[in-house]
Amino acid sequence: MWDLTPVQWVIHAITHPVEGFEDMRWKKSGSLKIAFFIVCMLFLANIAAERLYGFNHYVPYDKIFNVVPYIVRSFVLFGAWTVGNWAVCTLLDGEGTMKNICIYSAYALVPYVAQMFINTLLSHFLIRDESVFITIVAVIGTGWSAILLFSAIRSVHQYSALKTVFAIILTIAAMLIMLFLLILLLFLIQQVVIFFSTLFMEISYRLKD
Amino acid sequence: MKKLFKRAVTAALSLIICGYTAVFTASAKEPYDVYNYDRWGEPIPSQAGYTAERAVSGHDLGVGAFDMPSDIFCAFDGNFYITDTGNSRIIAVNSDFSETVKVYDSFTMPDGTKTTLKKPSGIFISAENQLMYIADTDNSRVLVSDLSGSVVREITKPDSEIYGGQRTFNPQRIIADKAGNIYVVLNNITTGAAMFSPDGEFTGFYGANRVQPTAEIIGDYVSGLFMSEEKRARRTRNVPSGITSFDIEGDFIYTCTSSSSQTTDTVKKLNSAGKNIFANNEAVFGDYSPMYDTSQNRLLASAIVDIDIAEDGNINCLDLTMGRIFQYDEDCNLLFIAGTNASQVGGFKQAAALESCGDRLYVTDTMKNTVTIFKETDFGKAVHKASSLHNDGYYEEALLPWMEVLKYDGTYNRAYLGVAAAKLRSGDYEEAMKYAKLADAGKIYDKAFEGYRMEFIKNNFEPILLAVIFGLIAIAGCVKIRKDKKAALATERKKEKTDEKEG
Repeated sequence: MWDLTPVQWVIHAITHPVEGFEDMRWKKSGSLKIAFFIVCMLFLANIAAERLYGFNHYVPYDKIFNVVPYIVRSFVLFGAWTVGNWAVCTLLDGEGTMKNICIYSAYALVPYVAQMFINTLLSHFLIRDESVFITIVAVIGTGWSAILLFSAIRSVHQYSALKTVFAIILTIAAMLIMLFLLILLLFLIQQVVIFFSTLFMEISYRLKD
Repeated sequence: MKKLFKRAVTAALSLIICGYTAVFTASAKEPYDVYNYDRWGEPIPSQAGYTAERAVSGHDLGVGAFDMPSDIFCAFDGNFYITDTGNSRIIAVNSDFSETVKVYDSFTMPDGTKTTLKKPSGIFISAENQLMYIADTDNSRVLVSDLSGSVVREITKPDSEIYGGQRTFNPQRIIADKAGNIYVVLNNITTGAAMFSPDGEFTGFYGANRVQPTAEIIGDYVSGLFMSEEKRARRTRNVPSGITSFDIEGDFIYTCTSSSSQTTDTVKKLNSAGKNIFANNEAVFGDYSPMYDTSQNRLLASAIVDIDIAEDGNINCLDLTMGRIFQYDEDCNLLFIAGTNASQVGGFKQAAALESCGDRLYVTDTMKNTVTIFKETDFGKAVHKASSLHNDGYYEEALLPWMEVLKYDGTYNRAYLGVAAAKLRSGDYEEAMKYAKLADAGKIYDKAFEGYRMEFIKNNFEPILLAVIFGLIAIAGCVKIRKDKKAALATERKKEKTDEKEG
């Protein structure tokens, strides 16, 4: 019966928050390509929500365009989530592989991404007094994604509900630690670069004399 | 090829440099780069709203050099009264600063004796009762005298318990309201301006600043909750900075506070109950961000030492740190920035007091010992005309003046706001949206968009209705087709199953 195409699987997973991911796991389906596409859409949605939003709802800082924050908010955050969850759940007897965590988490993000695009569109039709509709869409989209993400983690690792909550809290902690280390590393590399550049400058001045 | 590339690069670079210098020489008359803030809150070159006309010294007026002229007041009769603090006298000058009207170096007391001033630093002349109020700082008193120099009343340190016996009484600035109540800014007093009734009775303090809620003060408050009474009594107290100067306009008193640390309450508009009307205003007075001075290793934050309200309601603030005059309209929108710290005319060494009269600004300098006169430029005139029309509610009438302003300076953010408001008022929603976007004014854009949407729906009601109906029909059709397909699939499967069973 479950002979669905990859795209149909995405729809099935989203519309069946409780058993959708279980079915996916059972049939060993899910495509890494689609997962990557969804994360790319998350990146674009971030940019759209910042730059193409209705001017009556949000006044963006449009003097410069810096792509780095958007990359951090989509690719880096998603990557940190995947790696962090994998690292935590390997220790907690989780059954999910890195690939599956990546696929399931990405599928769970679809309502959130859709919410961002829908709101960007809606903001061009609604005035400020009607912004409650935008809020409703945002709350539904984000809440739905949160439920899906919970369900995705639960079925990818075959956890109980309580253990899933625990794993998610630990994953967030792991993400923070990773980001902290990343910043530390960047800072230290900067120091090393400064050291060598001063060294080079000093030597070159002395050679000139 | 390489040579060609090099040439192209040089050409491009020189073009850029030319462009830059062209921008900065746009207002070359002033001894400083005139700037204003763009819609992102960043400084950009701008047209000058005021230009320094001349600087007047005591010698020019034939009264000998000034010594620290610390206050100046434009009286109802058009004359200017300058407190020549170091020389302990008050000089009345005629309206165009060409000659001295009178030099007050001694006053006649009510009992007939003569009295002299000692470093007076504040002066106010009331238009209602034509009296002169002098903050006689080093004599620790306030003199109320008529314009001929005979003292009507002398106010010394009040005996009141509210005032407190240990405090000093060194009046710095003084004003009087229409009813004759006297307000005195005192040196080293942080509880606000001392208030006196018309007959010299101390009635309390007025308009104290709030303590700025920094992290340290919140921490102190929290730890104070767990302290014993004795411990709490002995700890250092958090005291706000005292008022530096003030001015009165109608029923409102405007105060300014120059403090190196305080950023709240630097400029206040107080009603007669002492309530600050600007308390919830997001406006920043002075420079938006302090400049870092590498030679002194310190931040040069604005310190507003004097405030003056012009007849048209504009608020002029004098910044001691950078020697700048900041002019705001009555709604605290920045209009112009003028002045600098320099030796040329138009620059200050230690700006002390500011007064406006007509289209001119007068600034005293206690180190240069001069009064610098700034005159409104054509650009300034255009902006003032537009902004006063706008603030009085004549948005549409202000449209042409704002357009005129944009002709002078296309980056003048306030003008785009004015044009957007005017277009919105006249119902030209599309243009209003365009200008509101240029001015970063989300609220006006929202209102204009509401009107635009309404118009759009009104004009295209039939096509929209048709599109909606057809859309609904199409969706219903799609749903029907899918359902039929599914049903067909299901029956097929059933058939297969039964076939299998049978088979």
